[in-house]
Amino acid sequence: MVDLVYLRIYTTTVQSFMYQYDAIDQQLVEERVAQFRDQTRRYLNKELKEEEFLPLRLQNGLYIQRYAPMLRVAIPYGMVSSTQLRTLADISRRYDRGYGHFSTRQNLQLNWPKLEDVPDILAELAEVQMHAVQTSGNCIRNTTTDQYSGVISDEVADPRPYCELIRQWSTFHPEFAFLPRKFKIAVCATESADRAATQVHDIGLHLKKNDAGEIGFKVIVGGGLGRTPMVGETISEFIPRADLLTYLDAIIRVYNQQGRRDNKYKARIKILVKALGIEEFRKRVDAEWEHLRGTESTVPMSEFDRLASFFTEPAYEVLEDQPAELTAKLAESNGFARWYERNTFEHKKPGYRIVTLSLKKPGQAPGDATADQMEKAANLADQYSFGELRVSHEQNLVLADVRQDQLIELWEAAKENGFATPTLGLLTDMICCPGGDYCGLANAKSIPIAEQIQESFDNLDFLYDIGEVDLNISGCMNACGHHHVGNIGILGVDKKGEEFYQVSLGGASGHDASIGKILGPSFAQEQIADVIQKIIGVYISARSDEERFIDTFRRIGMAPFKEAAYAKAN
Amino acid sequence: MPKLIKNGEIVENTYVWQQDADATATENAIVPMQKWLDNQDSIGKVAGIWIDAGEGVEPLAGVDLSQFDVIGVNFPTFMDGRGFSYARLLRERLNYQGEIRALGGFMADQQGYLIRCGFNSFEFAEDVNLEIALTLNKPFNVAYQGDVADPRPIFLRRG
Repeated sequence: MVDLVYLRIYTTTVQSFMYQYDAIDQQLVEERVAQFRDQTRRYLNKELKEEEFLPLRLQNGLYIQRYAPMLRVAIPYGMVSSTQLRTLADISRRYDRGYGHFSTRQNLQLNWPKLEDVPDILAELAEVQMHAVQTSGNCIRNTTTDQYSGVISDEVADPRPYCELIRQWSTFHPEFAFLPRKFKIAVCATESADRAATQVHDIGLHLKKNDAGEIGFKVIVGGGLGRTPMVGETISEFIPRADLLTYLDAIIRVYNQQGRRDNKYKARIKILVKALGIEEFRKRVDAEWEHLRGTESTVPMSEFDRLASFFTEPAYEVLEDQPAELTAKLAESNGFARWYERNTFEHKKPGYRIVTLSLKKPGQAPGDATADQMEKAANLADQYSFGELRVSHEQNLVLADVRQDQLIELWEAAKENGFATPTLGLLTDMICCPGGDYCGLANAKSIPIAEQIQESFDNLDFLYDIGEVDLNISGCMNACGHHHVGNIGILGVDKKGEEFYQVSLGGASGHDASIGKILGPSFAQEQIADVIQKIIGVYISARSDEERFIDTFRRIGMAPFKEAAYAKAN
Repeated sequence: MPKLIKNGEIVENTYVWQQDADATATENAIVPMQKWLDNQDSIGKVAGIWIDAGEGVEPLAGVDLSQFDVIGVNFPTFMDGRGFSYARLLRERLNYQGEIRALGGFMADQQGYLIRCGFNSFEFAEDVNLEIALTLNKPFNVAYQGDVADPRPIFLRRG
């Protein structure tokens, strides 16, 4: 029956509320497919050397990993239509092993494609306006933003038109394809929360209005994770939106010429900003911007209007908030009430709610979704949320426009398909990289650590009592699992060929961003859950009412946690 | 004489790189920028100068670039993208109209970007098949950004 409903809705859904390619956008991705097909052919024919093919394939998101290639498909600023998600499911089934991994850059990684199949995969992606452009390599990567964009009441403006502007500007930028290192931009549009971790990006943009009511951006530069984690610094309090692209060009032109290229671990823009100091860096950017400001790349109002026209509001019904059946169900079902409390979020329209489909089911790697799940999620999007989804940087899926009077139905369907783990924002809603099970760079496995923690914290009452904690796991210093900005961070390290885990505390990725501090010597794999239990124990006994883990940590400091974690068993 | 690609054609290379910018420099020599700057009063007419990665184009401010037939930009490796900015600055800031030649470790697959940044000639390594390289110089027939050939970004060109 569900499928019949889906068919009916899917075949009648014509309107879209996200960016749609025109002939130019389409031509560009198709020419990219042709280019990559030729590059792959020349590589397989040995006309291109391994080291020459490397940057070419990386600029198209193709890594050669531990066991097989990994293809990272771009999901620009996390927006994906049900049609696109079905294509991803289909591709993962036919060219891979029937699942994919949603990443912290809101992208999707396929872990087992064959190199020779990749051009065909890209051609199929292009048919649904998707690609893998610049999802890796030393270039400008997929721009990320708040997964609740456009549906929350307190944003300055919808950030997605600006993300699309940045996507187009950064796509095949002729000057910035061979930067000293990768370059990541994130956009945030709310003062209440930064859900895009903008302060730990190479450039973080905060949409804001100046005193005259004009829209622009506060620009933060030089944040980043990896080997030398740093919180970014403000380079400009306000750049008018018309000047955004020339200002970005100025920053990256300075970085392209002056960033270090002698050591890949010191090549990110944060190292340059730190070495020069923000004052001097700002001076150099301003000197460059003098020349660029007001040139043709200044964005006219007509372009903002054009981009905004794609992100129109769907045809919301006039509904009342908290319909009777919802109120009744909340009172009657503890399970539903928990899911509602954790996995749904306030919508700007009365009678609607934002729903997160959790990809943190115990027993499944965080952020992984099977092909069946992708299809089910696409169906749920068609049925309940105007055919669109978002990928969150915490590696979950979001249905942005769900009617409150359909929440009970959706909850039942989410439960059936493994999407209803009611732990959003709690300890077990972990960010986790694929780790040593897949990744050629990793020092250690990360998925078994996530499993161990999920098993150890399987009591929902206890999890709810602990409250909001960000726990992030990375399998190596590249920090794909954002361990530095987890309230609790876990990092896999290699010690003489054995896998150990370093724990850090006090990281945060929101407006109060901070880099975690290392607790002490690293632990063996089997100790981790026990150590996390001890850390949580310290928090529980030290917290005051309603105090979050991070706030308790900031108040009492590292010492009590350290003492508990390293206390000898007596 | 090795061949090169210039303005989309395979042609004879009539210039030679010369490390020393002194009295031995000939009219077909391309000499290092810094050495030329240091000795410009004592050396005669040369074909042009080349810029190494890390030098930037700032030292050329105030120099009459129209005296050079060619300015080379040397890529230590194809991963080093500084030269892309140098060429743009030569064209867009210093209004240099002559030949900008890619030298060193760049790759044939980078030609599309290099051309958009202002390069118009490519001195490839000996082992590169120039016929094949020629087919790689325009992977895209549309672009989002403005560039040296057309400074208008897509939003000024969409119909």
